[in-house]
Amino acid sequence: MSKLKIELEVNQRKVVRETEPQKRLLDFLREDLNLTGAKEGCGAGECGTCSVFVDGKLVKSCLMPVAKASGCKVETIEGLAEPGQLTPVQKAFHKTGASQCGYCIPGMVMAATSALRANPDAGIEEIKERLGGNICRCTGYTKIFEAVEMARAVIAGDMAPAELEEDAVGASYIGANVRRLDAPSKVSGRLKYAADMRMPDMLQMQVLRSPHAHAKILSIDTSEAEAMEGVACVITSRDVPGQDGFGVFVHDQPIMARGKVRHVGEAVAAVAAEDLLTARRALSKIRVEYQELPGIFDPQEAMEPGAPVVHDYAPGNVVKHIPVRKGDTAAGFAAADLVLEDDFSTQQVEHAYLEPEAGIAYVDPDDVVVVISPSQNITHHRHMLSHIIDKPINKVRFIMSPVGGGFGGKEDMIYQGMLALAAMKTHRPVQLNFTREESLIASAKRHPSLVHYKMGLTKDGRITAIEFNMLSDGGAYGMSSEGVMRKAAILSCGPYEVENLKVDTTAVYTNNTPSGAFRTFGGMQAQFATESMMDMAAEALGMDPFEIRRVNMMKIGSRTHTQQELTTASLDRVLDAAEKASRWETGAPVSRGSQRGDLGGPDTRAPCTLGARINQPDVAAGKEKVA
Amino acid sequence: MLTCDTYHMPTGLTEALTLWSEAPAGSRLVSGATDILPWAREGRAGDVHLPAMIDVTRVPEMSGYRVEGGRVRLGANTVYQDFLSKDDLRRFLPCMPYCAIWFADDQIREVATLAGNLVNASPVADGTPPVAALNGEVELTRLADGKLARRLVPVGDFILGPGKTDLAEDEIVTAVILDDATGYGGSFQKVGQRRSLVISVACCAALVKTDASGTKFEDLRLALGGVGPRPIRLTEVEEALRGAEISHGAIAKAADLAASKVASRSRKEYRRDVVVGFVRAAIEEALGNQPGAPVEIRGAGETADV
Amino acid sequence: MDRKLRGRGVAASWYGIARTATIDRAGAWAELDDGGTAKIVTGVTEIGEGILTLLAQVAADELGIKPSQVTIGDNDTARSPEAAHAGATRQTYMIGNSVALASREAKKALFEQIADHWGVEIDTLRSFDGEVWAEGTNLRMSMEEAVATCKARGVVPVGSASFTAHGTGLDPVDGSGSPWQAYVFGTQVAEVEVDTYTGEVQVLGIWAVHDVGRAINPRGVEGQIEGGVVQGLGQALMEDYRTEKGHTTTHGFAKYILPTSLDIPQINCTIVEDPDPLSPLGAKGIGEPALVPTAPAIMNAIYDAIGVRMKSLPATPEKILSALRERGANQESGIRQGGA
Repeated sequence: MSKLKIELEVNQRKVVRETEPQKRLLDFLREDLNLTGAKEGCGAGECGTCSVFVDGKLVKSCLMPVAKASGCKVETIEGLAEPGQLTPVQKAFHKTGASQCGYCIPGMVMAATSALRANPDAGIEEIKERLGGNICRCTGYTKIFEAVEMARAVIAGDMAPAELEEDAVGASYIGANVRRLDAPSKVSGRLKYAADMRMPDMLQMQVLRSPHAHAKILSIDTSEAEAMEGVACVITSRDVPGQDGFGVFVHDQPIMARGKVRHVGEAVAAVAAEDLLTARRALSKIRVEYQELPGIFDPQEAMEPGAPVVHDYAPGNVVKHIPVRKGDTAAGFAAADLVLEDDFSTQQVEHAYLEPEAGIAYVDPDDVVVVISPSQNITHHRHMLSHIIDKPINKVRFIMSPVGGGFGGKEDMIYQGMLALAAMKTHRPVQLNFTREESLIASAKRHPSLVHYKMGLTKDGRITAIEFNMLSDGGAYGMSSEGVMRKAAILSCGPYEVENLKVDTTAVYTNNTPSGAFRTFGGMQAQFATESMMDMAAEALGMDPFEIRRVNMMKIGSRTHTQQELTTASLDRVLDAAEKASRWETGAPVSRGSQRGDLGGPDTRAPCTLGARINQPDVAAGKEKVA
Repeated sequence: MLTCDTYHMPTGLTEALTLWSEAPAGSRLVSGATDILPWAREGRAGDVHLPAMIDVTRVPEMSGYRVEGGRVRLGANTVYQDFLSKDDLRRFLPCMPYCAIWFADDQIREVATLAGNLVNASPVADGTPPVAALNGEVELTRLADGKLARRLVPVGDFILGPGKTDLAEDEIVTAVILDDATGYGGSFQKVGQRRSLVISVACCAALVKTDASGTKFEDLRLALGGVGPRPIRLTEVEEALRGAEISHGAIAKAADLAASKVASRSRKEYRRDVVVGFVRAAIEEALGNQPGAPVEIRGAGETADV
Repeated sequence: MDRKLRGRGVAASWYGIARTATIDRAGAWAELDDGGTAKIVTGVTEIGEGILTLLAQVAADELGIKPSQVTIGDNDTARSPEAAHAGATRQTYMIGNSVALASREAKKALFEQIADHWGVEIDTLRSFDGEVWAEGTNLRMSMEEAVATCKARGVVPVGSASFTAHGTGLDPVDGSGSPWQAYVFGTQVAEVEVDTYTGEVQVLGIWAVHDVGRAINPRGVEGQIEGGVVQGLGQALMEDYRTEKGHTTTHGFAKYILPTSLDIPQINCTIVEDPDPLSPLGAKGIGEPALVPTAPAIMNAIYDAIGVRMKSLPATPEKILSALRERGANQESGIRQGGA
């Protein structure tokens, strides 16, 4: 491989380097120049976190071979403002709270800057189009739009720059819109996430993952990989010194596959090497002999007698069943004037935090094994790892690096154990950064659900009984399935006082990608079915949807589905406020959209038609203000 | 990930063709690079090692555009953003801005080329229907005895099937040649799972020109993408409307005729349903986008066949 | 029939705060520091929700200084007290209250010295925004002086606290139990436009009303609601992780479709405050609950618009058009009787 010599200007400084010919501009900026403001969210041009200017044009640096930037002027997030300063766009992001986890934010700030440079008068539709290549998973974009419009106004001189400063505090800091303290480091790209961190003498890890959904591991031969120049170690489950196994509720998952693999993408072995490429090449030298086993991919089939067994400890493939019973459902249905019965389903959903999993482990001078990672549960991870590596708790230390989005998806200890083992084996810092594809196949998802629902009601809309049965595919490992089933069962029938109910939620093992914790922890799946049923009932009874909810809502003193007496309950106020805020026109939900009088209005947006800039005069070469 | 031994950036066409003809087997030409890098990842090609990558974006003979004899010659390095940002291209090629705004996003439009989109020969490429509607030809160049040898291939013949083109081993696409459609109204319809940065399920490009009175179709061009291995030019529909009175009824009839042309293996029913609406909307929007006085579409709207 | 049809739908929701069906706990340390600043140390904080800023607000308010004067040391199992995990809509409730209590203890240590120094009753002392004073007197000094005075008297003003939420387990047979001590409620209204040519749904407006107990940073609450709504919208309309015999067919973001800036409704947030009576701050939480009612509200709105009930998520253009086709087959005269 011949080196590539490149000369370019980066943030107004001349740069001359020799680098590898296959490097992307993103690699060059991050690895060769240590400019880590541009992030790698997907590596495929689909998320925009790596956006930089090349000769004034915004590009995705993960899609640009570095040679293309040769002779060009590159501007990164670090170059937008002098150190300690922020541009109006950055200040506006700070002011409006447009950064949450912050991982997409350098790219988003670059896109916003580009939008206002291209057209300082851009309207909101054009701004949205110009941000269309940048994904944010936290903010819902709303505060970002607000920030760009604010910056536009300040740049145009229509708004005083002082508007971007902190609001004065009143009598208390409680209830005050204090600007986020972490925003300046996020909008300027200075905050270092785990993948941005470097330590001297650090190794790079790559993971060999299962190509099979269910297979017995007959043998693993790592000798050829271990013999490669630049490889520091290869680890497998054989290297686990203590009691292997992790999980949020049941410790059924080994650090790396032990004896068999249970899903595609499960870690089988890992290599730590001097550089990423060597580690990747070493993976192809590891020989794993598999014997494929029949797999189970459907949660209903998983419960059938004779189905393949995923875990020996659970011969019926049930991870957890949660029952909730209250009153007498037979009597309740007998008292009903209307009985509705239906089925609902929800899909597996990815957290899609913009920061893929990443971490560093090292052994400190006091023989403490330290793991730095964006973990949502360092407390529990420390406990589990101490058993796995057989060390006292105070010899295991977890540091939570800035989390680039979690949503429950970073509660599972799916890679920290491998890092710890490699650090212990080499006594060198080891870093592992997942690719997006790796994150997708190896991390847990939102549980898909199949709900069978039966609801009885009287003519006046009072629910007399509910039968609720939910089946979820938990995938190959238990992770948070037990808790998700519990929460789904507790919340199942919604915020309504139901005298008679029979609720069952069950998660089963399959050989699919595991399901785990995800924002609402089962609550969303269950209440989607309930809230659909409420509208179907309202239609059948000719009632307004707010009204039927009021008839049944929980109040102070109500007994919940688990028979807890509520000492506070605000649904009455919440429903009233929603009805008023939305200018809701009363009526039964009989598909009356075309007759409604409450549609549109200033609290809705215009439909997106695309092309906001097309019918405007050419602005590309036109006026340019400093954005 | 993508690795290579050498990355070339030739600065002349002869140099590029020479490098290309001498490159070791397995080497690749690179233009915008917006597809090759995502291709060499897990789930697609996985890790790929190329002996050489030959980047043609600094070849001046492949850059820029010019109008000759009612045709627009776009150098192969013309990027999608040019269709939005360059006034004269917007005038010459009235359906291209609408295609471009649906194509990917600003960042990718800055580097992705129309020629590259055609070479990828994806059945769901956004670029092929408007090129077909503009009677597009692809200019292929190779070295023959040290001299440049060019040939022109209509886009419908250039794309042979998913990922397959008529490009010979030693050839490079050097230009895309399209009708100058100044005065036409253009439009582009697309549906995917969202509005930005999405691969289309189906798309439709239209060009419309009315007669001087604004009551009849003088000319009409329609092409569909995503409904078969190649773009489909709806010549029968065009014929049926050429010279016809502009009315909702005529447009609806044309749409129904278009649906019968749809023959995609997957999601056929959905695509057929979409096409009916798309053709109607494409014609109506193209009429609305025609420069000059607004065009009135007569007759009541008919109930869509859904 | 018109190409584009609109409709509205509503959905309500409820949610429990902090860990489920178990006792939850979080610890924190506080110290009033030189210069009238403060150190707060706790185990688990920011995952993007804004908890660092919120904790600084809580500490500042309790201690009587500015949020910018608070330094938070966090997220290190070897250097900070246990605060369990970042999830379960527990950060504001568990760690917020723990920091409030630790700050109160540190302030009490300071106030004992200042009351003695000034010769006033401790109950008369107040502090806010960097000033300490005794009510009904003209005794006043800066927090910087107060800390120096306290230390000169040999006392470092520190505090520590643990906050507990008393959930109970569920009965294994009938599921009875008290899984949480605090509940929140929410309601969202969605307005959609359905393109009957393509089956595309655009959500044009969301009215999101949520009880959060007490909004410590209203803008931060809005940010959580907006983010939750858009995740709910993604699940409702486009996101779909798919596998075939265990192999994913959605390898990356080209196939796994997420909402972008062009898919975002106008989100109108209304915050309802029904303070929690069992905790010092009265704040409950919003992280997870914000997402719960969005998808059903959108599905109910789709039904309102086109008379088709989507019971299987996501409601993709293809599924919507297919449902419309089926409905059309059942009803000879188009979508709705009487036509467009």
